[in-house]
Amino acid sequence: MSDDPLLEVENLTVQYKTKEGMLTAVSDASFAVSEGEYFGVVGESGCGKSTLLLSILNALDSNGQVTNGVIRYKGEEIQDLSEQELNQRIRWKEIAYIPQGSMNSLDPLERISTQAVQLAGLHSDLNEEEALTKFEEMFEIVGIDPERIHDYPHQFSGGMKQRAIIALALFLEPSLIIADEPTTALDVIMQDQIFKHIDDIVDRVGTSIMLITHDIAVVFESCDRMAVMHGGQIAEVGPVTRIDNEPHHPYSTLLQEAFPDIREPNRDLSVIEGKPPRQIGETDYCTFVDRCPWATEECREAPPPLERAEADRSDHFVSCFRKDDVREENEQGTDDRKAPNQKSGSLANDE
Amino acid sequence: MSKVRFFLKRITQTVFLLWLVLTFLFFLFRLMPGDISDILLYQGADPDTVAEFEESWGLNDPLYVQYFQYIYNFILLEPGYSVQTNEPVWDFVKMNIFNTFILAAPAITLAYILGAVIGTVTGTKRGGKLEKFVPVPLLTIGAIPEFFLAILMIIVFAGFLGWFPTSSMIDPAVANQYSDDPWWRIYFTQSFAMHFVLPFTTVVLRYLFLPSLIMRTSVVEVLGQDFIFYKRVTGLPKSARLKSIAKHSSLPVITLYPISMARAIGGLVLIETVFNWPGMGYALVQAVLARDFATVQFVFFVIAAFVIVANFVIDIFYSVIDPRVSLDD
Repeated sequence: MSDDPLLEVENLTVQYKTKEGMLTAVSDASFAVSEGEYFGVVGESGCGKSTLLLSILNALDSNGQVTNGVIRYKGEEIQDLSEQELNQRIRWKEIAYIPQGSMNSLDPLERISTQAVQLAGLHSDLNEEEALTKFEEMFEIVGIDPERIHDYPHQFSGGMKQRAIIALALFLEPSLIIADEPTTALDVIMQDQIFKHIDDIVDRVGTSIMLITHDIAVVFESCDRMAVMHGGQIAEVGPVTRIDNEPHHPYSTLLQEAFPDIREPNRDLSVIEGKPPRQIGETDYCTFVDRCPWATEECREAPPPLERAEADRSDHFVSCFRKDDVREENEQGTDDRKAPNQKSGSLANDE
Repeated sequence: MSKVRFFLKRITQTVFLLWLVLTFLFFLFRLMPGDISDILLYQGADPDTVAEFEESWGLNDPLYVQYFQYIYNFILLEPGYSVQTNEPVWDFVKMNIFNTFILAAPAITLAYILGAVIGTVTGTKRGGKLEKFVPVPLLTIGAIPEFFLAILMIIVFAGFLGWFPTSSMIDPAVANQYSDDPWWRIYFTQSFAMHFVLPFTTVVLRYLFLPSLIMRTSVVEVLGQDFIFYKRVTGLPKSARLKSIAKHSSLPVITLYPISMARAIGGLVLIETVFNWPGMGYALVQAVLARDFATVQFVFFVIAAFVIVANFVIDIFYSVIDPRVSLDD
């Protein structure tokens, strides 16, 4: 693993034009993915994970746009590239994608091999025969009988389609594969197999992977580094082991308590009340404030900057005004959190 | 092997359906009040002559005997004689059938091609002005009764503007001029072309809204499909994506095409009547008024057979373009 960042996202803000005004889906997000790194992004539904990924792929819906910040790939800013430039230089050759709806992502009217040959024709110098041979190898890597490359998608089971999609992502040896909840529609056994394949790819092929998921356990198990998102903001970025053992952001802390841990089988799982807010206009506060037991007035007045979690660590960042307090409490095991939903409580006092 | 079974099954089904149609037609028209004898009597024929006529045409036989005779003749490809002209029905109506096809087939085909283009353009510009306003005139024209649309066309283009003749298929003088030539010669005259324009345009306009609207909905639906997004992210250029969108969206339109075609061929009665076009609908009206059972039955049979056969052909065609539809069953 080299330290040169392959993908850098800096102060990225993405907004959608809606009837109520500009909806901010991603606000001031910054992180980097290094070469050969397995990077996880977690967060609950509606927290901006998918928008983040779509803006990196430059495939936002027509009402969405990057309003601030830059996305750098191998040092080059790619957020303003034209569709044609992206198609010629970046898409699939450099950045491949494993979609969420892999069940329906293959064209049902075309043989899978036809779709692969088409991609090879667009993005590589392989002729048809070479492309087919290579695609057969990819099928072997993901564990499907190579003879079946000529099948139609409907002849595949759900798990096979997902593996075929992974084979297509690997096909032209991209430097980065972005996987958007790649196992959503699959049963747990198949999920496990798919993640094994992805782990395998990281080990053998050395491709960087950016995995977007709401399953924090998968990230803890496989990824090198991770980002935790909430309400369009990046709450915490850092090595998985750090966030697993020493979470600094209240959301990361609570998320962990919400997941079962094999080391503490009898612990009650906690619930994080509420949901991420829908943000119309600029995000000028911490979006976690209404759900945060540590929240103070300060948290409502400005968005917390993404800062070093500890002054002497350059790889772990947290955006929380009270990160030091939270951290101290976590270490001491004391628990003087306020009751959540402070906002409604204060309203009651006003009456 | 299973393909052979499919064809055998479908052919059996088709034959059975055609038999049902024949039987239904036979009894339906016998249930109609009045028959050819009544008409002859009404026209002042001598009752003895009428009795003789009934005897010679077998009209006094019990109904089931007539029915079996009819089916038997049909199997021998002899659909009977027209009581209007005493000619075999086939000779009597073959030109009418041809005239209807030559009007309906190109008109419906053009309506579907135009409709697919209009639907693709409006569907891909979803939310735009085009998408909002194009369906309005299409639906308005589609909602006008076809005979009224035909009359409007005549008033405007034949009456006011005087560009085209008002009715019939060809100038009688021109038809006479070519009476010694092969039968198809008259279809290559300027007179035919001029007579063709108005009924043709009427049919196109009448049937345009259906493929346009279906295609629009279909395009909108396909645009939202995962595989179209996936194609975009894989770096497929826009032109290739549009081709794919068009292919997917046209599937439901292709299914409708033979249905519209069949409806047009059976349903041109009013348009043919207004334009005095010597087609099947025109022949049908004449035959019903004359209680010419053999002709009516045959024309209806041709329409039904066309619908059944067209559906069969589309089933096969569909299995060619969509691999998910298999003929094996």
